[in-house]
Amino acid sequence: MFPHLRITNYQLQVHGAGVRLDLYAALQAVINGLLTGALYALIGMGLALIFGVMRIVNFAHGAFMMLGMYATYVLFTRTGVSPYVLFMVAGILLFAAGYVIYFGLLRPIHGQSDFMQILLTLGIGLIATDGVLLVFGADYHQINFPLLGKNLHFGQHLNVNAPWVVSFVIAVVLALTLYLFVMRTMTGRAARAIAQNRYAAPLMGINVFRVQAISFALGVAAAGVAGGLLLPVFYIYPQVGDQFTLKAFVIVVLGGMESIVGAALAGLVLGVVESLTSLYWGNEWALAVDFVIFLLVLSLKPSGIFGRQRA
Amino acid sequence: MKRSHLLAALVVFILSLLVPAVVQKDFVLQILFRIYLFAALGLAWNLVGGYAGQLSLGHSAYFGAGAYSLALFSGRLGVSPWIAALMGVAVALACALLIGGVSFRLRGPYFVLATIAFAEVLRLIAKNLPEVTGGDVGVQVPALFHGNVNRAFYWAAVGLTAVAFATTVAISRARFGYYLMAIREDEDTALSVGIGAAKNKLAALLISAVLTALAGALYGSLFLYIVPDQVLALDVSNEIAIVAMLGGAGTILGPVVGSVVLESAAELFKNFFKEAHLLIYGVLLVVVVLFLPEGIIGTLGALLRRRALLGGIKASARGVTGD
Repeated sequence: MFPHLRITNYQLQVHGAGVRLDLYAALQAVINGLLTGALYALIGMGLALIFGVMRIVNFAHGAFMMLGMYATYVLFTRTGVSPYVLFMVAGILLFAAGYVIYFGLLRPIHGQSDFMQILLTLGIGLIATDGVLLVFGADYHQINFPLLGKNLHFGQHLNVNAPWVVSFVIAVVLALTLYLFVMRTMTGRAARAIAQNRYAAPLMGINVFRVQAISFALGVAAAGVAGGLLLPVFYIYPQVGDQFTLKAFVIVVLGGMESIVGAALAGLVLGVVESLTSLYWGNEWALAVDFVIFLLVLSLKPSGIFGRQRA
Repeated sequence: MKRSHLLAALVVFILSLLVPAVVQKDFVLQILFRIYLFAALGLAWNLVGGYAGQLSLGHSAYFGAGAYSLALFSGRLGVSPWIAALMGVAVALACALLIGGVSFRLRGPYFVLATIAFAEVLRLIAKNLPEVTGGDVGVQVPALFHGNVNRAFYWAAVGLTAVAFATTVAISRARFGYYLMAIREDEDTALSVGIGAAKNKLAALLISAVLTALAGALYGSLFLYIVPDQVLALDVSNEIAIVAMLGGAGTILGPVVGSVVLESAAELFKNFFKEAHLLIYGVLLVVVVLFLPEGIIGTLGALLRRRALLGGIKASARGVTGD
């Protein structure tokens, strides 16, 4: 099943214990990467729906994730209910926000150039980030609840933090739900029809604006939900979303634009790549490696790693 | 641009040079320095983002290259500051060749994302190589001027704005400027009539990078100390683009007006919002996109033209009916 693993095992006997630890360190890094990657996948799938399918260039995606984090944070500090329940409330709030933002701001500039969307969403992101900064201050916060200290052990050398596992499982379930929504429901079909041909879709009786609004709001909600799931295991501060905006675009491009599944796989891959980069080169290079991969893919294989050739 | 307009610009330039004779307060001069610096940056960005229509959100790369080259070549290699500033221009040109070479093959949002990614890679390199760049702690920048520093920097910023303005006027009248506008309006059509899109876009970016790097060197040298999250931050790129878009991308005067409005507004709101001063940028961006998509100058120009046109129609109508 793992031929490369067997070979490494053979080498282990030659080199001894030092290499064995290295192998476990790498394996641990891959596991950690997959755990982070599931949340990246969720954020990326949200943007794949907004940008890949609906062609709305959303530079506020990370800010929406941050809003989801803060919504969960505020609810948690006020009510004390588990963040694994509250993230759903954050998702609903962000769905509503996305719906309103689409009809209030994005629809009026429908049909204008991409640049106008970029500048508009950039502005929305700045307002969200600095609005939160104004209300909550620039301090870092972290929530505390009993599950946080628990670790699950696998054998002697591997262990994972319990909240990560819970977040991972929920993220996978949500990702599957989102996938089924896009593939099986009428609204999802309509969204894909618009992506295929935005002129023919309205002729088939599809209300383009309504479907776009729902897709945009769903994508925003996915980012918000991911933020809620990230809260237990991450620091929270107003600019926390900034790097996620670019990461989400990296994921969507790697995944091949229109493909929701591609984005999910690309999210997992990015998580593992970052984790291995952190292990071997240091944490501070992870983001740089993301961008270098992004530039390489954009210039060498613009259809993405998991995508088919774009027309 | 008419001769009278050029004359007016010349008068404004001379008056700007005379300002320090009246204004002595350091903090006022520093605000004026910032207004002129971002006017120059906006004008530089406008060549690529306005005339050629290529929305770069990674101009912090050239800005930071100018500032960091001055600091590192002078501080680590002992080159004299002005030579180091010129070497910064060379570094920025090299960056522009690389960034332009890769990004100009991409269109729309992909181009924008590529420019951001390049600028971010530069920022992370500056952050993560402390032995070379000083890392997060930052690095000292040598002084380009001595004596009455604020006055000298103010004059330098006015001079740079004048150079950027003259460059813009020259390009907007030249064949090169029309090539850029043709590429902006429809790249495929421009290609089909024999305009080398890649070559012209790259030329515009190179000119833009030179001006931006000089502005970066001035900025770094005024503060005498730089950190990556200040001169290589995406906020710098955004501010430069907002200045030009607010005033009117693709107009000669737009970036100057944009800088006056944005920097004054930022200064006013700074005490109001403290750390959250970017809030005003966000609001301005949304307002510009929804209500002033052609910027202040672009919208004003369209209004004036419409009035002139309506006036002409009314006049000729009067002529026909004879009253």
